[in-house]
Amino acid sequence: MKKKLLTVTAVTAALLASSQAAWAATGDQVVIGAQTDIVTLDPGRCYEPYANLFLRACYDTLYEFRNDADGAQPMLATGCEFSEDGLTATITIRDDAVFASGNPVTAEDVKFSIMRCKNLKDNPSFICDVIDSIDVVDDHTVQFNLNTPDSSFTSKLAYCSMSIIDSTLAKEQGATDAEDAATTDTAKEFFDAGASLGSGPYQITSYLPDEEFVLEQNENYYGEASSIPKYIIQEMDDANTQMMSLTQDDIQIALNLSEDTVSELEGTDGVDVLSFPTMTMGFVFMNMDESLGGPVSDPKVQQAIRLAIDYAGIQQIVGDGSLTPLSYVQVGLLGALDARDPSYTDVEKAKELLAEAGYPDGFEIDFPCCTLAPEGIPLTDLAVKLADDLSKIGITLNIQTVDWTGGYAEDYRDGKLGFSVMYWSPDYQDPNAELEFLPGGIVGLRSGWAAEMDQELADMKGQIVSELDQDARVEKLKEMQEKTAEYGPFIPIVQYPKYMGVTSQLTGVEFSDSYRMDVRTIEWAE
Amino acid sequence: MDTLKFIVKRIIYLLILLLGVATIVFILTRLVPTDPVAANLSQRNLSDPEIVAAFRQKWGLDKPIWEQFIIYLKGLLRLDFGTSIRTSKPVLDELKRCFPATFELSLFAIIIATVFGILFGIISALKRNSWLDQLVRAISVAGVSVPTFWLALLLLYFFYYKLGIAPGTGRISKSFDAPAAVTGLYVIDSLLEGDPAKAWDCLSHLILPGCVLAAFTMGLITRTARSNLLEVISTDYIRTARAKGMANIRLILHHALGNALIPVLTVVGLGFGNLLGGTVLVETIFSWPGVGQFAYESVTKLDSPGIIGVAILIALNYGIINTIVDILYGVIDPRVRSGV
Repeated sequence: MKKKLLTVTAVTAALLASSQAAWAATGDQVVIGAQTDIVTLDPGRCYEPYANLFLRACYDTLYEFRNDADGAQPMLATGCEFSEDGLTATITIRDDAVFASGNPVTAEDVKFSIMRCKNLKDNPSFICDVIDSIDVVDDHTVQFNLNTPDSSFTSKLAYCSMSIIDSTLAKEQGATDAEDAATTDTAKEFFDAGASLGSGPYQITSYLPDEEFVLEQNENYYGEASSIPKYIIQEMDDANTQMMSLTQDDIQIALNLSEDTVSELEGTDGVDVLSFPTMTMGFVFMNMDESLGGPVSDPKVQQAIRLAIDYAGIQQIVGDGSLTPLSYVQVGLLGALDARDPSYTDVEKAKELLAEAGYPDGFEIDFPCCTLAPEGIPLTDLAVKLADDLSKIGITLNIQTVDWTGGYAEDYRDGKLGFSVMYWSPDYQDPNAELEFLPGGIVGLRSGWAAEMDQELADMKGQIVSELDQDARVEKLKEMQEKTAEYGPFIPIVQYPKYMGVTSQLTGVEFSDSYRMDVRTIEWAE
Repeated sequence: MDTLKFIVKRIIYLLILLLGVATIVFILTRLVPTDPVAANLSQRNLSDPEIVAAFRQKWGLDKPIWEQFIIYLKGLLRLDFGTSIRTSKPVLDELKRCFPATFELSLFAIIIATVFGILFGIISALKRNSWLDQLVRAISVAGVSVPTFWLALLLLYFFYYKLGIAPGTGRISKSFDAPAAVTGLYVIDSLLEGDPAKAWDCLSHLILPGCVLAAFTMGLITRTARSNLLEVISTDYIRTARAKGMANIRLILHHALGNALIPVLTVVGLGFGNLLGGTVLVETIFSWPGVGQFAYESVTKLDSPGIIGVAILIALNYGIINTIVDILYGVIDPRVRSGV
């Protein structure tokens, strides 16, 4: 019996050992472990942040972000000229770009792709709201007719859903850019089967939903080929699994590490741990409508709360690499001011302000908090910390946990919440996306901050949006941030960090809010 | 003929059961005070009443609940499970995509659980109250009690991360391409491709998640097999056989085990049905693209067609397995077949 047991054990061990080589060897390809949120491969419908991973690899856009702080830079475009009134933008397109099919990238493709995104009326279509129509001037020139001047226009053109697709092939698969595309376009199934019709350096060659993507080099790519012939993006929802797979070299990049797994990786040979601030921002909001906000609608109370919050403590909860934006423009975006100094906290001054506002003993107030967890940190954790901080100035928070889909979203959208904590991530990488926090903006109204309550500040939104001179726009953005750093119903409390792990043999791996990670900058180290 | 009648009767019961499940889950998904709009639209789009209205119209959420239900039932009669709100693909296609992964893993797990569960049960019964019995009982209690996610992380940590003797997550190593889908079961499809190395790789990827999933059912089977064997062993006919000098192993395998297996079969059936429903945590930790992951994503996005589809699939699994188990009762014990 013992002999048999030993034999079985030995055979099993030998089989496992023999197969070990098979699961270790992956060649020059790079495997990325990621918890993605991708639900479609149709560029005109993609809105989920991780869709940028494959869109950036397989498609070109007119503009791109090489660095979020530098603003959008030309990619397929060679230049953009605005008319004097800012209502038309003429863009010239490079003439050497070709799709993976070998078809040249033309102005017709640009018009088709962008008008299709607009007319599909899907999640990302709002990005095209500013575009009325597009005229093809010649094979390599298009004219965008806008309904309002828009200083973030080129940033919007860098958005992943504005990917330029091979219109000849797309039309064969039922794609259309007609006004009724929302009901007549039938190309989604074709894309979702694993097709990519772009001019980027890679092509999707295999797609298993919720399992993996395989991207292989586009042989017709007109640019310089990367040293990485193949990417596999493997769905890995668990941070521990990503960490273990990275150390075993089963994956070369772990995109969603947690703070715990980062500490486990520290000191591991051949693995680098990277930390980057994201554009995801947590903020406290206080309703300006007294019937909803009660005492927190008073500007003096708002400032007292701003002073009472322990920003350094919040950064500790959220993790290394986090910071506190001074105002609504996250650090790293064009025109952002430096982060708030965490030592800004001044409990004594906060108490004085509270007394001036008529609350020398503080007050008790409901604090609904939703169950969302941006970048893996539950908002309820921040609520508990805020309750602790505000108790030091006599404010008692009654935290009420509400599910996002169980009523919180509706109340938040309708501006019915008095005092709460939420998060915001810009839809496109441009400070203009943050202007929604101003009076009369989408987020502003959720806090009862109507335009007429501060017309001067509300007007700044229009001025910044229509300011086509970049330097002048940056100046206005700075002015807006200085005005709102200690004023208004919003208190940005933290900018979340992002942790990634990467094998030391790779270079150029960086987190990017625009693309999650820009696969075009990654190379094998020489 | 009797068996055919029995199967037809079971199919009718099953159809009624599925209708009941679909109705209850449909009503529950509508009664829960949650809003799919909030789960599926971006923060920006939530503020646009036109987009919100278009979303409700697209998914039929603007219609009265009874009308939504009738539309759903009509679809169901045509085997149309509706379209997933999350992925915009037919739910049936989604289930066809993820079920083979769960089936393969569950099959592997139930085989391990059954083989080892019965083996441990026999050992435990034969060596009653010995240290071996105590050890087996401790293992079975641990199997039933240890949280699945903890065991999954523990096995992965030691056998993959620390010792490096087992493959990590996923269904296949990155050095292989996934086999062309014939059955959807990677091991079999690899063999059909004539690639035994790939088949072994796929099989080795089943070991850790399979053992984790097997632990619970194995514990139950061990305990059931032990207690039933002990009961059978104490009967007169076994005592008589033993008095005649029959060897213990032969006695158990030829005379006692058959009679003790019926309750074990019930446990195996229930365990297999449970596994086929998908196990979210194990599938998440092992990046296994199965029904559990689909169910979890459907719930987080309040994707009611997806949720109902999974519920029907689970009910169907249980129905089919129970029918098979009932038929097997007759095979194991002819008295059941003849209605004695």
